[in-house]
Amino acid sequence: MSIAKASSRPRPKRPQVNSSSFDTALGWQPGRTATTLLRAAVCAIILFVFAGPILTIIAGAFDLNPDPTRLTLIPRNPSLENFAVATQRGIWGFFWNSLLIAGFGLLLQIIVAVTAGYALARRKFRGQAIVLGIFLATMMLPEEVVAVPLAVVLGDLPLVGISLRGTIFAVILPVAASAFSILVMAAFMRDIPDEIVEAATIDGASEMRILIEIILPMCKPALGVVAIFGFIGIWDQYLLPIIAANRTSDYMITVALASLRADVQVGTGVLLAGAFLALIPSLIVYLLLQNSLVRGITSGAIKG
Amino acid sequence: MTDQAGEAMTPLVKNAASRPPAASLRRRVRPQSRWWTVWLFLLPALLLFLYFKFIPMFAGIQMSFQKVRPFLGNEWVGWSNYAAVLNDSRFHDAIVHTLILGFGQSIGAVIGGLVLALLLEGASKTLWFVRTAAFLPVVTATAVIGEVWRIIYFPAPNGFLNSAIGSLGLDPVRWLEDPAVALYSVMAVGIWQGAPYNMVIFLAGLAGVDRSLYEASAIDGAKLRHRLWYVTLPALRPAMTIVLVLAAVRSLRVFTDVWVLTGGGPAGATDVWMTRIYSLGFERNQMGIASAASILLLIASIALTALALLITRKRAEK
Amino acid sequence: MFENPNKAGNAIRGLAFLAAALCSSTAMAQDALEVWSRSGPQAAETYKAVFAAFTEKTGIPVEYLATVEFETQLQARAAARDLPDVLIYDQASMASYANAGMILPVVPEDLAGHDQLSEASWDSVRMADGGYYGVPFSQHAQVTFIRSDWREKLGFDVPQTHDDLSALATAFATQDPDGNGVDGDTYGMAVPGTTDRGFFTWWLSSYMMQRGGSFVTGGEGKYTVTVNTPDSVAAVEWIQNLFCGTPSLVQPGALTNASATPFFAENHAGIYQTGPYAIANFDKAPGKDKYEIIIAPAGPGGKTTLTERTSIYFGATSSKPDQQKALAEFLISPEAQSLGMTAPGQPVVRLPVNTTLNAAEIYGDDRWAVVADQLTDSQLMPSDVDFTTARLDIAETFQSMFSQCTSDIQGQLDGLAGRISDELSQQNALQ
Repeated sequence: MSIAKASSRPRPKRPQVNSSSFDTALGWQPGRTATTLLRAAVCAIILFVFAGPILTIIAGAFDLNPDPTRLTLIPRNPSLENFAVATQRGIWGFFWNSLLIAGFGLLLQIIVAVTAGYALARRKFRGQAIVLGIFLATMMLPEEVVAVPLAVVLGDLPLVGISLRGTIFAVILPVAASAFSILVMAAFMRDIPDEIVEAATIDGASEMRILIEIILPMCKPALGVVAIFGFIGIWDQYLLPIIAANRTSDYMITVALASLRADVQVGTGVLLAGAFLALIPSLIVYLLLQNSLVRGITSGAIKG
Repeated sequence: MTDQAGEAMTPLVKNAASRPPAASLRRRVRPQSRWWTVWLFLLPALLLFLYFKFIPMFAGIQMSFQKVRPFLGNEWVGWSNYAAVLNDSRFHDAIVHTLILGFGQSIGAVIGGLVLALLLEGASKTLWFVRTAAFLPVVTATAVIGEVWRIIYFPAPNGFLNSAIGSLGLDPVRWLEDPAVALYSVMAVGIWQGAPYNMVIFLAGLAGVDRSLYEASAIDGAKLRHRLWYVTLPALRPAMTIVLVLAAVRSLRVFTDVWVLTGGGPAGATDVWMTRIYSLGFERNQMGIASAASILLLIASIALTALALLITRKRAEK
Repeated sequence: MFENPNKAGNAIRGLAFLAAALCSSTAMAQDALEVWSRSGPQAAETYKAVFAAFTEKTGIPVEYLATVEFETQLQARAAARDLPDVLIYDQASMASYANAGMILPVVPEDLAGHDQLSEASWDSVRMADGGYYGVPFSQHAQVTFIRSDWREKLGFDVPQTHDDLSALATAFATQDPDGNGVDGDTYGMAVPGTTDRGFFTWWLSSYMMQRGGSFVTGGEGKYTVTVNTPDSVAAVEWIQNLFCGTPSLVQPGALTNASATPFFAENHAGIYQTGPYAIANFDKAPGKDKYEIIIAPAGPGGKTTLTERTSIYFGATSSKPDQQKALAEFLISPEAQSLGMTAPGQPVVRLPVNTTLNAAEIYGDDRWAVVADQLTDSQLMPSDVDFTTARLDIAETFQSMFSQCTSDIQGQLDGLAGRISDELSQQNALQ
C-alpha cells in the first residue's frame, strides 16, 4: 500500500470529543489557547530560522548601504541604487542567459525523462538492469571531477566534430539528461494501472499517443518534482557555464554573482541585489509547483 | 543536480532496483510495437549520458594514469597518481572531514526534518504557510546561501550570530575562521538546508500513520513520548533508514556547501575530498592526481551505494 | 548570442534561432583575435575601450573575454588544446604557462616600440633560460591606504615606521575613529588573507621585506629558500602578532574567503595595503577626501613593498602571429597605455611600462606619484621560475599559523622551507 495515499483516504468520524488530538503525532489540540500560543511560538522560531536568512537578502538588496557585518529584516536606507549599479554591471544579461538556459534545458530534461522513464517503467526489455545501472552511475559522478574532460568534449564533439562552446547548447545539453528526473518519472509511470493503458491499446492508439494522452496526464506530480529540481539544478550551475563560455556575455547569473563578489568597486548591497535576482525565478517556480512537489516527493519516496 | 535531489532519488533507487523485472509482477501491456522501439525511447538519455558523462569519465580514467601536459604530451605514469593520493596526508585529513561532515549533516538533517515535521503537522492554513516558508532553503541557489551565511557567521562580536549568543552571555565564536569550529559551522548550514526537505518526506509518513493506533495507545494510558516512540517512529522507519544511508553515501561528494563558505580553509580545517580535488586540479595544475582522486571517489561512492542497496533489499525480503 | 528572446515563441522557431546562433558564433570566432584577461566588470570596460581603439586603428577585430575564473577557464581550454590568441594576466603566472608550453616565446626586438620599455620591464618577462615569454603591459607597487579623517580625529601623524603603524592600527581598533561610540565595529587593518590563488602571499611579502625577512632570495633562475632564517622568523613573529595580539587589529574574517576591500570602503578598517587599482573604488567610498595614500611605513628592513606586474602572453595554439604582434605593439604604445589609465572603468594600466609617459600627469592626480615613488623601492616575486605551488603553500602555511596562533613558528617555517626547496629543486631552480 502506498502510505502517501492514506492521507487522501476519508477518515472515519470519531465519536470522542478530543478526537482532534489524534490527528497529529504530537497531539496538538486546535482551539485550545495553550496549544495556539505554543504553536505560534514554534512557528515564529521556525520562520525566523529558515526564512529569516532569505529575507535578509531581500532587505540588504534594497538597502543603500547594508552593513556587511549585520543583518536586518527591513532596509535602513531603502533604495534601488543597488539594482542600478547591478544593471550597469550587466546583471540582466546574465539573468536572461540563466532564464534561457534553465528554460530550454528544463524542457529538454523533461522530454528526455518522460521518454526514458516510460521505457524503463512500462516496457520490459533485455538489458533493462544494465540501463538502470548506467543511469544510476551517472548520479555517482560529481560534475566537478569531469569538468576538464567535459570541456574537451564541448570544444570538439566526438564523431560529430562540431564545437558547442560559446553556444547555449554547451550548457543545455549536458544538463538535459538527469538520472534523477528519469527515475522520478519511471517511479510514477510504474504505478499507473495496466487496465487503463490496455483499454487505450484496444482502441488502437499508438504507443506515442498513449504516452502523451494517457500516461503523461497521470504523472503531473512527477512533472512538478522534475520541473522544480530540474530548474534549480540548472539554475545552480556554476562550473559548466564557465567552461562552456567563449565570452563574458555567455555567463549565467551564478558566475556573475562571483564576479560581483570579486569586484572591489561594488559593495555588499549590489552583491545582495544580484543574489536577490538569482533567487526570484527559483522562488516563483517553487511557489507555482509546490503542491505537486509535496505529492511528488512523498508518493515517490514512501513506497514499497 | 542539487543535493536534495540526490536524497530524493534514494527511495526510487531502491524501488527500481528491488524490482527491476517489474513486468514479472503483473502483465505489462505492450501496444503494437517492435522490440527496438524501446531503444528509441531510451536513445536521447543514453546519447546525452554517453557524450556528457561517460566520455568525460573515461577521459578522466585515462588522465588518472598520466602526467597531464596538453602541450608537451601526456606522460604515462602508471599507478603513481593513485599512490600520490593515498600517501598524501592532506587527503587523509580530507577523508576524515568528509566523513564527519557527511554523517553529521545526514543525521542532523534527518533529526531536524523529523522535529520540523512533528512540530508543523496539521491542516491549518497558517501551518501550510510556515511549511512553505521553511522549505525556502531547499530551493535557494547555493551561491546565494553562501553569501547570507557568511554574513550570519560574521566573526566579530557584533556579527549576527555572535550578538545572538552574546545576549545569552556566551563569548563570540569565529565560526568559519576557527579551525576547531569551522567544520561544524559548515555542517550546520548543510542541516539547515537538508532538514526542510526531509520534513516533507516525514510529513507524508506522519499522514499515513493509522490514527486508531494513537487512540488505542491513549486508551492504554501511554504518554506522549511513548506514543511517539512506539507508534510514530516505527511507522516512519522505512523512510528513515533509506534516506539516512543513502544521504551518507551522497555526502561523500559534498562540495559546493564547503566551497562557497570556506573554500576548504581555514588551515585546511574544512578541506573535504572534493575541495581537495578541485584545488589540486584547478589551482595547482595537477590534473593527473586530481583525476586519480576523482576515480577513487567514484569507486567509493558506487561501492557504498551497492552495499546500501544490498542491505535495504535484504531487509525488504525479510 | 543569447539575445533576442521574443522570437522563441514556439519550439520550432526557437530551435531555428538557436541553430542560427550556433553557426554565427563559430563564424565569428574564425577571424577575430581572441583575448582574455582576468578582470571584473569595471576593468573589462576599460579593456574594451582599448581594444576598440586597436580595432579602429588596425582593422583587426577582437573577441574579448574578461573573467574572474581565469584559471579554471584556461585549464578547460588548455585541455582542449584551443587557447585564446592573447592572454593578459599577472606576471606571476608566466613561468608556469611557459613551462607547460602554453605560451609562445617573444623576441622583444621584433616589436615596434620595444625600446620605449625599460630594461627592468623586459627583465621581468625573461625566463630562467634567457628566453622572453611575455610583453610587459602594466606595473605598480603595493601602497598603504590610510583613513586620514580617522587618523586626524584621533590625533595621529602620518605613520613613518612600523611602530607608528601598529600604534595607529591599535587606536583605530580600540578607540572611536568613526564617531559612533567605542562599539568594536572598527578595525585597524584590512587584510586580504584568502589562500585563493595564494593571494595572502602577496600581502605578506611586503611586510616580510619591511621586517627584513623573505621567502626566497636569488635571481636569474636560481634561488635560496630563506623563509626559515632567523630574520624571517622574527618577521613572521611580528606579523603573527597583528593577528594574534591586540584583538580587532585585523578585520574579522581576514583569513577566510571574504574580501578585505569592503572593510575599508564601508568604514570598518583604517589601514589597507594593496594595489593602486583600488583608488577608483575608494574615491567613491569611503570618499576621495577621507583617505590618503602613503609610502609604506619603514620597518627594520626598510619600506620595500611588492611589485605587481601585468603582462601580455601569446597563446601557443594561435594561428595569428601577426595579429598577436600587432596587438602587443599597440598595447605598449603611448596611446594604448594612456587609454588603459584613463578610459572609463578602472585603470588596467596602473603605471605605464612605456617610459615616455608620466603617470601623475596623465591621471592629473599626485597620488599616482606616490605609487611611482614606491615602485622604485619595490621588488617582484620570482617570476622566472614557476612559483605557483610555493605561493599557494606559503599562503596556506601562514594562514594555518595565524588562525591557530601557533607557538611553533620556527617548526612550521622549517617544514615550509623544506617543501619550497623540494619544489624548486624539481625545477632545477635551487641554488
